Amino acid sequence: MAKSLLIISRQAPWAGPSAREALDIALAGGAFDLPLGMLFLDDGVFQLAPAQQPAQLQQKNLAANLQALPMFGVEALFADARSLLERGLDAEHLTLDVEVLDDAALAALIDRFDQVVTL
Amino acid sequence: MSTLSLDNRDIALDKDGFLVDLKDWSKPVAQALAEREGLELTPEHWEVLELLRQFYQEFELSPATRPLIKYTALKLGPDKGNSLHLNRLFNGTPAKLAAKLAGLPKPTNCI
Amino acid sequence: MSTLHVISHSPFGDNRLSSCLRLLGSNDGLLLCGDAVYALQPGSEPLKALEHANLGARLFALEEDLQARGISSDAARAIDYPAFVQLSLDHDKVNSWL
Repeated sequence: MAKSLLIISRQAPWAGPSAREALDIALAGGAFDLPLGMLFLDDGVFQLAPAQQPAQLQQKNLAANLQALPMFGVEALFADARSLLERGLDAEHLTLDVEVLDDAALAALIDRFDQVVTL
Repeated sequence: MSTLSLDNRDIALDKDGFLVDLKDWSKPVAQALAEREGLELTPEHWEVLELLRQFYQEFELSPATRPLIKYTALKLGPDKGNSLHLNRLFNGTPAKLAAKLAGLPKPTNCI
Repeated sequence: MSTLHVISHSPFGDNRLSSCLRLLGSNDGLLLCGDAVYALQPGSEPLKALEHANLGARLFALEEDLQARGISSDAARAIDYPAFVQLSLDHDKVNSWL
């Protein structure tokens, strides 16, 4: 059995390469059938904000790419409740179907995976 | 770099034969690309190519083999969404070859 | 399962440390290295947060990074690189906050 990996994505979508890199790890791992999870934390939850128009910045549409995660077999998708709350994001209006977790559930989530990477 | 000549028009291809400009794609272009690969496009091929273009429109990336199979199964049913069917249609490399013929970028997560 | 969390960014102007403290499990350890050792600056807000988190013997800092920055603290156990390696092995996994 392959080791499970939790990817914690905690950077805003257009600030630098981190958000894209986290997604690339997830897509590559998913394509190879690895058991993966992805957690959006801190500014990472801005990746899930509605009505983004990355074409204005000549960027690829990260939000559209994120939608492909379930197709790549990455269905364990989570967001941190407090990060959403602090940033005024409504969990009901995110661009991705995620499970929203409180602090205690975050610790349990990390515990459940064999490996974790945060970027 | 190479070019595909079609109706007195030169269409740019990258070194692996993928369209440089995705807007160049049309059904005759797909047909011409398939000929270069020695492939005769049947209705079964076309429905997969249509599906790939739909995938790209939805997710803005090219699928690797596994998501291609999953998406095909979702849209066309498990009889067509399986590796046997897709491998048979696209010479054993469905993600790469079908993406090429559908005018999508080369899949990045594909070996 | 225990996780060793490794932070190397300054806690000032970034919330890696506060997020990490939020999701730290009861068996998890925290190692501060690089600019993250500024979190141990006496009288600072991050030090208060660390003391509040009450990690006891689960809080570590790389000795050379402390010394280089002129910081000494009783809050964390100062360790060298061999001890860092041992610490990584003592935990089930390592989570680097890149």
